[in-house]
Amino acid sequence: MSKPKLQARLASLSFWEKIKILEKLRDREKAIAASGLRKNVLKQDDNKD
Amino acid sequence: MMRRLAENGFVKATFETINNMQADGVIANYAIGGAVGATFYLAPAATIDLDVFFIFPADSSGLLVTLAPIYEHLKARGGKVQDEYIVLSGWPVQFLLPSDALESEAIAEAVNTTVEGVPTRVMTAEHLVAIALKTGRAKDYTRILQFLEQGAVDRQKLNRILERHKLSERWKQFETRFLEGGVR
Repeated sequence: MSKPKLQARLASLSFWEKIKILEKLRDREKAIAASGLRKNVLKQDDNKD
Repeated sequence: MMRRLAENGFVKATFETINNMQADGVIANYAIGGAVGATFYLAPAATIDLDVFFIFPADSSGLLVTLAPIYEHLKARGGKVQDEYIVLSGWPVQFLLPSDALESEAIAEAVNTTVEGVPTRVMTAEHLVAIALKTGRAKDYTRILQFLEQGAVDRQKLNRILERHKLSERWKQFETRFLEGGVR
């Protein structure tokens, strides 16, 4: 499915369904932040410079 | 232990808390703005907080306006203050008084909706775009582009709001910078 079509499909969901996705996205962000993965990537990037 | 995704419902619980605060007379009216408000119209995009624009009841206005009544009310019900946020049901919520006529109008003209039976109010798409234009951070411009690309804005209604709040010139600058040859 193309990105515009996917976005249109997501946009057409009910507010409640979209909020459930929003909460999952937030959980994922929190999990990534807590895991330290992002810091490791940033450190690796710094080492490249 | 991490909460399972299927057990979510933070936003709905937060809406209930805000409605209770309104019923108790702590706030008079409110509207959801920011990224959660935009989600009413657009595909969901990650956000960390919930922006609630509100007004106090008319009889509580004084020379000194503080958020203390809100914080006291919510702290007594389990809310935790964290920097400029108060954490409700796990979500950082920012309570914002309208800073100008545009934001006051956005609260007054917000759309009534429900989330699984819980009533709430969300700013119109056009007010969200106008406020994003006024705020003018990179993420605000990104959001405006999403509204335009997804055809979620009534351009005539938006133009009237921009004119009324003297944002037309800023919109022209935005168009020149981001829309030349693109979405119209």
